[in-house]
Amino acid sequence: MPVGLLVNLSARNLFRHRRRNAMLLLAICVAVAGVTVLNSLVRGMQEDMRDAAVENLTGHVKVLAPGYRDDPGIQHRFAPGKDWHSGVSGDALAGWAARVVVPAVIMSERETRGLQLAGVDPARESISFLGDVPVLGERLQDAGDNRILVGRALAEQLETDVGYRVVVITRGADGSTREAGFRVAGIFDADGTALEKAFAFSGLRYVQSLLGTGDVTELSLRLRDDAATDAVVRNLQARLPELQVLSWQELEPQAAAMYAMADTAIYIWFLVMMGALIFGLVNTLITAVMERTRELGMLRAVGMRRGAVLVQVVLESALVMTAGVTLGLVAGAVLAWMLRDGIDLSRWAAGAELAGMSSRLVPRLLPGDLALLAAMSLGFGVLASLYPAWRAVKIEPLEAMRR
Amino acid sequence: MTDLVVDCRGVGRIYGDGVPVRALESVDFQVRRGEFVSLSGPSGSGKSTLLNLIGGLDRPTQGEVRVDGELLNALSEPALADLRLHKLGFVFQAYNLIPVLSARENVEFILQLQGVGASERRRRALEMLEALGLAGLADRRPGELSGGQQQRVAIARAIVTRPVLLLADEPSANLDSVTTEELLKLLRNLNEAHGLTIVTATHDPLVMGYSRRKVKLRDGAVVDDAVVEPV
Repeated sequence: MPVGLLVNLSARNLFRHRRRNAMLLLAICVAVAGVTVLNSLVRGMQEDMRDAAVENLTGHVKVLAPGYRDDPGIQHRFAPGKDWHSGVSGDALAGWAARVVVPAVIMSERETRGLQLAGVDPARESISFLGDVPVLGERLQDAGDNRILVGRALAEQLETDVGYRVVVITRGADGSTREAGFRVAGIFDADGTALEKAFAFSGLRYVQSLLGTGDVTELSLRLRDDAATDAVVRNLQARLPELQVLSWQELEPQAAAMYAMADTAIYIWFLVMMGALIFGLVNTLITAVMERTRELGMLRAVGMRRGAVLVQVVLESALVMTAGVTLGLVAGAVLAWMLRDGIDLSRWAAGAELAGMSSRLVPRLLPGDLALLAAMSLGFGVLASLYPAWRAVKIEPLEAMRR
Repeated sequence: MTDLVVDCRGVGRIYGDGVPVRALESVDFQVRRGEFVSLSGPSGSGKSTLLNLIGGLDRPTQGEVRVDGELLNALSEPALADLRLHKLGFVFQAYNLIPVLSARENVEFILQLQGVGASERRRRALEMLEALGLAGLADRRPGELSGGQQQRVAIARAIVTRPVLLLADEPSANLDSVTTEELLKLLRNLNEAHGLTIVTATHDPLVMGYSRRKVKLRDGAVVDDAVVEPV
């Protein structure tokens, strides 16, 4: 098959009806650029949701005592060995934190609320939202800090403030009721009010002493690459068979479901756009084939085989799609770059918060997405050309003789 | 090598599924190597049908068609395409040049279909255009050429492969008489000087006048077949 001739003919045929093909090229370009920008926004939203899920104390991987998820209390505690994380490659691990998280009641002079009292080591909490959350007042200083950090929403409910005292009641490791007074060191302002109402933080060692144990209730690991999560879970589970090792997807199934749904949304959007585009492409190609009936008949008459005619039409489609997709990807990437500071969603902050997103949506372009988009677009282009190509193949050599 | 380039025996062609139309009735027709034959007759006489059957563009419903010894009836479609590519040259009424290719490329592409290498086909295409008086127009596209020039490019395309037989369907239909005469001189020269066998279907008395054998058809049958001295 004379591939060089077919490529040459196909490429030049694109310039035969410049305006028509320019419009088609523009349509492909706009569709691909639109899909690229939307993909980048969906990816941004998706990563926001995952980061929110991972940062709100969950981490990529969490180690718990069996039974803790069903009944999260100090009775389900464990003592991590000294080198419990040695099975995780240092390259994969961004950081880890040991915590004691127990249910408690917090009281101010005016109000009482239920929450989770978390004993943390501030030096290790760069892996969670605590590392960079805005705080009114002071942050916790170290694992021995006996003050408490409460959320803004909780502080408003308790009608308390920085420097005020609150009382926390919980159950100790021996089952007895433990009670302690804390001075409010600071008030944190998280992205969502759920975290602000659900958690209060104090020094890990201080909470352990309050509970009468040196054990912890969880180990949280932050990884450098989300893709390593499953492998780390498997490694740790093999190393700590008596404990439960869970991924963030298992701990936050709703966020994981939304994360997965975003993938589907990308494909659905892509299919809708390409579906609409394909009708235009098929129409243009059929018109081009019908206009060239005599020419295609001549090619068949002088000895070009049906397969070569088919390839010629498919190549035309592939070439116009390649040009359109390339331009579309570049335009989409430029648009995404122009939106690099993000889109302000604060007007819809409540909805965004509900979905686990921040109030600023930053597009994220993934090379894999661009490659997939290019490959699928070209695939669709080839598919769309099959019917016009079949019409071309049906043209008989006798058409060349028509007067 | 057989002396008969075309050998049609009892060839008939019926069109239509409903009411059949007999385009050609059991025709016997032979063309020897080096002949210049014109097929003439009124519309519907069967001359184009006969030309199409000889060119392997259509299949007979009865009889046998042989071209250069090969029985076309028995050939598969790809084999027919190969035969057209390697043994036949076509000149069409509407020239049928590819508008996006230059004159040289229009001549060259058929060699490309044959698998001839780039430098060889370029050389042969330019030689052919030069031989037909189109040397200075090689880079022009069909839209930039006159009707006569386009038809000469079409002839160059048809004979650059050195075919056994040149088939021309109403080659002068879109040309004025001066250009037609130039074209016919060119065809006669190809026939006489190079021994090219030519069969043309035509209404044009001028074309018939240049041929050395006039075959008249009427109602799908040969009614006259005469060898004449050309003008």
